[in-house]
Amino acid sequence: MRELSLNVMDVAQNSVRAEASLVRITVEESDREDYLKIAIADDGCGMTEEQVQQVIDPFFTTRTTRKVGLGVPLFKLSAEQTGGSFEIQSRKGVGTTTTATYVKSHVDMTPLGDINSTVEILIRCNPGIDFVFTHSTDQGTFTLDTRELREVLDGVSLDTPDVLEWIRAYLSEQTQIITGGADNQ
Amino acid sequence: MEREITDCYIGDLLSWVMGRAPEDSAWLTVMGNINSIAVATLADVSCIVLVENAALDENARQKAELHDVTILLTPENSYRFAVKLSALLAE
Repeated sequence: MRELSLNVMDVAQNSVRAEASLVRITVEESDREDYLKIAIADDGCGMTEEQVQQVIDPFFTTRTTRKVGLGVPLFKLSAEQTGGSFEIQSRKGVGTTTTATYVKSHVDMTPLGDINSTVEILIRCNPGIDFVFTHSTDQGTFTLDTRELREVLDGVSLDTPDVLEWIRAYLSEQTQIITGGADNQ
Repeated sequence: MEREITDCYIGDLLSWVMGRAPEDSAWLTVMGNINSIAVATLADVSCIVLVENAALDENARQKAELHDVTILLTPENSYRFAVKLSALLAE
């Protein structure tokens, strides 16, 4: 995919299908140490070791409309082609954590893209699920935790326009702080 | 190779190619991994042409055999190969 944030969207949707109630999305990047790490962790239904092997196999899909499934295989490829690594840890009934690590300065590095919009769309489309998004750089770190928002909101749904507007502004402002105002695309 | 080639498509970003390569085309790429074989199957191209002698992974070769995906190899780059193919397709 042209942006890693689209891979995050794809994997997070798998978490939703796995009936997760909490999805943690973590983006950790460092220019000093030359890496970018993306982790998507959920408390969904989890997978057996055999199922994990199936999702990284491009010729396996649960869909009946086509015979190949490329979401996870392309995510894995994007990490490996920078000299990074890819891992899925899963336990049946406990949850799944998907981790992709990139060598950030590699010439084949796919840009992270608009991760904030990905997070906002996930919240908007799944108001019943909690998301914890953490983004850290050499300059700092911030977290958006919808469980904390819910406490303050006192029953107001997360997909209310005003709430989404606040989330957008918060993500944008915090991103500017940890990227030193640099364009994050 | 028995399948007819009616078109040509060039691209290395697999997620891009999978929705765009025309059916029955020769797909010119440097990506010789297992995902390329899956994309070739999905797009139903006639064959994959690995240009500039790009490497074919062993597990990709096995999957290609299993799914009947023809893979050709050329030392030419995509542009030069496509020019030659274009002349052949015009005949």
